[in-house]
Amino acid sequence: MATTTATISISSADITGDPLNLTKTATLTKAGTDTGLDQFTGVTTVVYAAAQTATNIVPNGTYTDTTVSHKVYIKNSATGTSDFVTVELGGSNTLMGRLYPGDWCFFPYDGTLDVDIDTSAAGMKVEYAVLSQSVAS
Amino acid sequence: MATTTATFTLNSSDVTGHPFTMTQTATLTKAGGSTGLDEFTGITSRTYAAAQTDTVIVADSIYSVAASSHKVYVRNTSTGTSDYILVELEGNVIIGRLYPGDWMFIPYGGTLDVQVTTIATGVTIEYGVFSQSAAS
Repeated sequence: MATTTATISISSADITGDPLNLTKTATLTKAGTDTGLDQFTGVTTVVYAAAQTATNIVPNGTYTDTTVSHKVYIKNSATGTSDFVTVELGGSNTLMGRLYPGDWCFFPYDGTLDVDIDTSAAGMKVEYAVLSQSVAS
Repeated sequence: MATTTATFTLNSSDVTGHPFTMTQTATLTKAGGSTGLDEFTGITSRTYAAAQTDTVIVADSIYSVAASSHKVYVRNTSTGTSDYILVELEGNVIIGRLYPGDWMFIPYGGTLDVQVTTIATGVTIEYGVFSQSAAS
């Protein structure tokens, strides 16, 4: 089985009175096991000609659900400072948050809700990917 | 203003037919500007003596809403393979399960609590919020 790792490093010299340096690495495994995730969409890059509303980028129907350990990655690859991507969950488009240019996110996904995005302007570039398990554990 | 960076590296030698490595670095700024986020909760570490149900780890009332660029970090610091943390937005909107060692880093709109549910006793978690003091 595949071995995939995801590492986050957060650093700041001045957001607190002491330097912050946090680095954590996760080995991405199927739910409840030490077997690696076995599916990957690749990283999709899309430039949206027009602003988007509730555009589905991760359809829940594609993935096994509940006892799973899927992961979703999204990045706002736009330049500048103002054009944001709104990340939403489910048919009610529940707000998770906004990704401003250069921002990325990485989160677990249980396959029960769609992941949708809005974009605030025309011509925005977004990249996204899903790492998943082929069968629920 | 503070300068905070968040770097993501994804690496696999065999999840596709060829080795894959990706690194992305974001400088965490306030919404719509180049000014750095100015608030940080610190990293909270907890060991839950009992299983939790919809325990609030990020309270929406604390954070500004609308034009904001908050970020939430959560990690399941438990050992083993089975004791997951279910992460939800208020109203039982499931984000997903963090199995031991898994982490997440998401944008946060400040409109709903972030909650966790655990299935076992002794589950350990760490979390933190990077935020802006006022909406842009």
